Amino acid sequence: MTAVLQLGTAAERGGERAEAVGDFAEFVRMSMPGLLRYGHALTGNPHDSADLVQAVLEKVGSRWDTVRRKGDDPLAYVRRAMANTHISIWRRRRRESLVADFPDSGAVAPELSRLENEPLWQALRELPPRQRAVIVLRYYENLSEAEIAHALGISCGTVKSQTSKAMASLRTRLGKE
Amino acid sequence: MDDLDDDLRRLFNDDRLDVHSEPAAVDAVLSGARRRRRRRTAVTGAVAVVALVGAGVGLTRLDSLRSEDTTGAMLTTSVSSPPPLVPSTSTYVSTVTKTVNAPPPGNGEGPGEPTSNRSSSPPPPEPAPGRYGTLALGMSEAEALETGSLIEPTTPVDADKRCKTYATKSVPDADAVIVSSAKGIVRITMPSYAKTPKNIGAGSAVSEVKAAYANAEQTGSGVTVKMAASPPWFYYFESDGTTVTTVHLRLTGGDCSS
Repeated sequence: MTAVLQLGTAAERGGERAEAVGDFAEFVRMSMPGLLRYGHALTGNPHDSADLVQAVLEKVGSRWDTVRRKGDDPLAYVRRAMANTHISIWRRRRRESLVADFPDSGAVAPELSRLENEPLWQALRELPPRQRAVIVLRYYENLSEAEIAHALGISCGTVKSQTSKAMASLRTRLGKE
Repeated sequence: MDDLDDDLRRLFNDDRLDVHSEPAAVDAVLSGARRRRRRRTAVTGAVAVVALVGAGVGLTRLDSLRSEDTTGAMLTTSVSSPPPLVPSTSTYVSTVTKTVNAPPPGNGEGPGEPTSNRSSSPPPPEPAPGRYGTLALGMSEAEALETGSLIEPTTPVDADKRCKTYATKSVPDADAVIVSSAKGIVRITMPSYAKTPKNIGAGSAVSEVKAAYANAEQTGSGVTVKMAASPPWFYYFESDGTTVTTVHLRLTGGDCSS
């Protein structure tokens, strides 16, 4: 009986879903350039950015009606998911010492970042991903400590300590102190 | 001193951060999302069909509790991090794996001879491993992280610094999995689309839980069903009074609150 109800509900949602899919396509078109840029800042290279954006958007798109129903700003939701996904991928990669099999959109040819020769960019790349994410959220997204804590699901204290470690590492690498 | 602040802002405003996006990227995302949704729907639908066929106990043996991750997988990185006991492949929910395979394509009948819905239940508590996908109750945090199913801890440790919570690839809630430093995983939350081997999940009626599990006990507005395994564990079906809202697998004697 439950099954019948489930099937019925699924059918009723069909029309709503078609509308949601169109809405999602528009969202992807509009947000893609900004997300790729943000992903570039997070990951340190354009190719990983494309992979990260695609993976997160696919996930969000497969549950788009749920995301919309929650009433959050979908763009903020995607950006948070990107930061968290990037951190967790890095952990997995480090643990497994192998390259994750990302979906490859082919959208962006593998290439080095055009910022490759910037010392600050190089120093950023050396940071552990959570520290880097904190820096990106603070200086790229202009988020407050509390907003960063919420986005990454960590405490404000952790945000402070990660920021402080990151800034110290950057200063050391840049020979500023 | 705050040159660095300025430098960072300048760097992040640099046009060179722009990444050229091709229209194909949008199409790839849309088709990927569609594929994921279809995969999820296929599983849910297959489970429903099995239920319609009336197969109950016979179809869904508890030993099907194995394999895999879930549709919710953030990134289907089916890299070579095979979880133990898992027949390679991707990501799908243990609890439904068997039922999914059950109905052969185009065959209206269930596999084998579905036994009718007899009311006689196996003696409680039933044996079943406390496992969902690659995660198992009692698994240490390190082992759990090895599975790749956990996402970065999304809430701080509790006041006693004893318990950590994680979102998983299939359940985005910050406390989808609770890990105790002493006892390992003490709670696993099943995704809303997943079902137990007896086809109970979010959306099932509380009466269905009690019909499916002879040893079900009402606990507040939820229902507890003890399972025999080592270590012992139980299902906790949270409900709004009449309908199951969330299904947790919990380790008996877990030392974390919630």
